[in-house]
Amino acid sequence: MRIGALRLSELDRGGAVEETASRAGALTRRGLLGGGAVLAAGLAAPAAEAQGSDEDILNYALALEYLQAAFYTEAERLGALRGAFAEQARVVGAHERAHVTALRDALGGAAIRRPRFDFGGVTEDQPAFRRTAVAFEDLGTAAYKDQAPRIRSRAYLAAALRIHSVEARHAAWIRRLAGVVPAPDAFDEPLPRRRVLRVVADTGFVTSAPRTSAFGSPRFTG
Amino acid sequence: MSRRAYASLGAVLCALGVVVVASSSAHREPPSPLGLPEPPPPAFRIPVPRPLAPDRDLARWAPVRRATTARRAPGADQAAVARVDARTPEGTTNIVQVAGRARRAGGRLWVRARLAVLPNGTSGWVPRRSLGGYTQVRTRLLVERRALRARLFRGGHVVLTAPIGIGTDEHPTPVGRFYVRNRLTSYRSPAYGPLAFGTSARSPVLTDWPAGGYVGIHGTDRPERLPGRVSHGCVRMRNADIRRLGRLMPVGTPVIVR
Repeated sequence: MRIGALRLSELDRGGAVEETASRAGALTRRGLLGGGAVLAAGLAAPAAEAQGSDEDILNYALALEYLQAAFYTEAERLGALRGAFAEQARVVGAHERAHVTALRDALGGAAIRRPRFDFGGVTEDQPAFRRTAVAFEDLGTAAYKDQAPRIRSRAYLAAALRIHSVEARHAAWIRRLAGVVPAPDAFDEPLPRRRVLRVVADTGFVTSAPRTSAFGSPRFTG
Repeated sequence: MSRRAYASLGAVLCALGVVVVASSSAHREPPSPLGLPEPPPPAFRIPVPRPLAPDRDLARWAPVRRATTARRAPGADQAAVARVDARTPEGTTNIVQVAGRARRAGGRLWVRARLAVLPNGTSGWVPRRSLGGYTQVRTRLLVERRALRARLFRGGHVVLTAPIGIGTDEHPTPVGRFYVRNRLTSYRSPAYGPLAFGTSARSPVLTDWPAGGYVGIHGTDRPERLPGRVSHGCVRMRNADIRRLGRLMPVGTPVIVR
């Protein structure tokens, strides 16, 4: 799995993310997660309707922001991070939630719904969190870079660039904490949407809602 | 005034005009050396980032993605506490309430979970990978047996109060800390009213009851008997109250019976 200039496998030495990805793959093959449909519900459905429109691009950005916001918020809530990582999650989580709010407000009724997430333990284990956060921030930055030249409205572009540079700062911050060179290359490569979606789908972090309602007759004690 | 005087006045006014225009243009931004247009303002504003709200009223639950064994401590070699199925007797996804932080043991993460088994109040450690994603709830249902009353709290505030029926002395409603496991609707069992919540509580006496003797929270076809000690352990509500509860109480809500 390669994200921009970063190989996820190079960072994921403990195998937490890859393990989650394989688990998701196995579940998907067995049809337990509804296949890639769970991700498609959040990302590809609007893309199919009007791929390339500004609204579609903003929804794509919103989906990635939902993912990042949920990741940092859950990590902070679970309280498994310490020191600089806890501080990074607290600050970056607040940024990502602000990005979600901004994009939802801009899209109004056209905004996609928040998907459900299953981070499979990477939010409650600091080494796994560190690897995943590096991958997420590089992924987000590369995704914005790919979409920015496609935005037709200059006013939307101006707003998107305000987010893009912040994502790049987040990437540099977590790379520094993780002991990875913050700026390894003179030029950053964009990452096409198809590849971004595949990376996200492979993690298995986007999941379906459990079935907690039914229509059968109760057999409780009465 | 002569024609010559008009001409002189016009020349003076023109000169003044040039000075005024020149002086006002001195306050403008200098033009771009490349002649580029001004950048547009952003189409939307990024709001001020806000910290998370305090979480003292939050409870967390997770679906059981695959059947597993709960253990007394983190680790596959620890003593078994109970079997944890992936499905409830009602056919819904089984869920557990998450209690505390995950711990790493034997190269895996383990999570302590409250379990829907006897004896009531049992908890055990399950592999994190056997569970799905976490969901948080801010609601809590308090069942007060002495007052024959249920109160639903959201974010620490009471949002519903209702009279209830509870178990008789022979079949008491168990005391303890439980959680809502599922929600059943559209069935044809008038004794349960229009809606029934399944909980993790089990009757300690009706162990041979069909499906294991789980305690529910549901409506009734005998509202005149409420409030009272009238059930086999379930919490009964008037149908209007259970409908309101159905709108307010999500699955995963902690249920405290005292």
